[in-house]
Amino acid sequence: MNELIYNLAVWLDDTQWSTMLHESYYMYNWVESTHVLTLMLSLGMLFLIDLRMLGLALPDVPASRLAERLNAPMLLGFAMMFITGILLFYAVPVRTSQSLWFRIKMVLLLACAVNAFLFHKRMSESVSTWDIEPKAPGRIRFGAMLSLAFWSIVVVCGRFIAYDWFDCDTSPNTLIDIVSGCVDGQTRF
Amino acid sequence: MFVSMFTSYPRTLVVVAALVMMLVLIYGGITEAVYPMLLSVFEWLETTWFGVIGKTWGAAFAFVEAVHLLGLALLGGCVLAGDGRLLGLVLTDVPVNTVVERTHRVFVYGLVICLATGIFMACGVATKIYYLSVYWFKMLALSAGILFHFQIRKPLLSHDIHALNPVVVKMVGVASILVWFMVAATGRWIGFSG
Repeated sequence: MNELIYNLAVWLDDTQWSTMLHESYYMYNWVESTHVLTLMLSLGMLFLIDLRMLGLALPDVPASRLAERLNAPMLLGFAMMFITGILLFYAVPVRTSQSLWFRIKMVLLLACAVNAFLFHKRMSESVSTWDIEPKAPGRIRFGAMLSLAFWSIVVVCGRFIAYDWFDCDTSPNTLIDIVSGCVDGQTRF
Repeated sequence: MFVSMFTSYPRTLVVVAALVMMLVLIYGGITEAVYPMLLSVFEWLETTWFGVIGKTWGAAFAFVEAVHLLGLALLGGCVLAGDGRLLGLVLTDVPVNTVVERTHRVFVYGLVICLATGIFMACGVATKIYYLSVYWFKMLALSAGILFHFQIRKPLLSHDIHALNPVVVKMVGVASILVWFMVAATGRWIGFSG
């Protein structure tokens, strides 16, 4: 599996557009800046919704109304992050695919998606009974706390990708090498 | 008359005084005189606990960077929700005063997180950022943002917003989004500079 990912990453790395994007100082930095600054739109809205469920933000605004109204800008933000994230991966495919932090981030993104699905399902089932309460019921609050925790770790992992602590050409730890997907005899890093 | 003017428009006078001071600093040659003296302050910052931790433990610095981003997300979310409401783009069926007041409270938490982590990070790379013009632009934008938010936006919007000129209200929303975007963008560009 790791070898397949590595070969795919090498193939992407060999494409002309990947090299151009990686080597373009302004284009790469614009894409990365957009990825980071869109946090304000995506996670900013998400944090407000989660904090509302915990009773820590906008407690006198009906929960369902806040979630519905902020949903569109939040999804717009996540769409922009997704597109710029793919471009960032495409610019540096080999190193990114073999980054321990990137792999943890991807697993957490999956966990975030599952949590969001369950959160919305539980919310739509019960919101009519607590919509104007300052705090959501325990199960919804738990989902909101999980969302805050998962997304916070996603941001931490995203930031850590920039550092080379566990890169395949520097990491001496066998277990981390396995988790990172380092391939024996690989020539591209 | 002067006393009555001062008591009626204290915040306006603070803003005007700050602008005049800035112009005097720039065009009076004071910036050029003060700038070299600040180097010793930045060198000292690197010797503080924050500076030593930031320089010694890369993981600690990276973690604080991530918390800085989380603070930025919180701050930015409040700005976009509050100012988006002023512009009639989001939460249009929630009273405007409610959105502006409630998001302001959370905004303060976001700002405190950003300032605390920002000071830590600045200590770790103080002698690098001292020479970066983009860092000074960020400090200028941040000062403008804080001054604008607490001295203009908040006092103005603490009144009944429906009684204000709608054009003024929208201009406040646009200015707020622009100034905080400028803070975030210049901050991001620090990472690409030097």
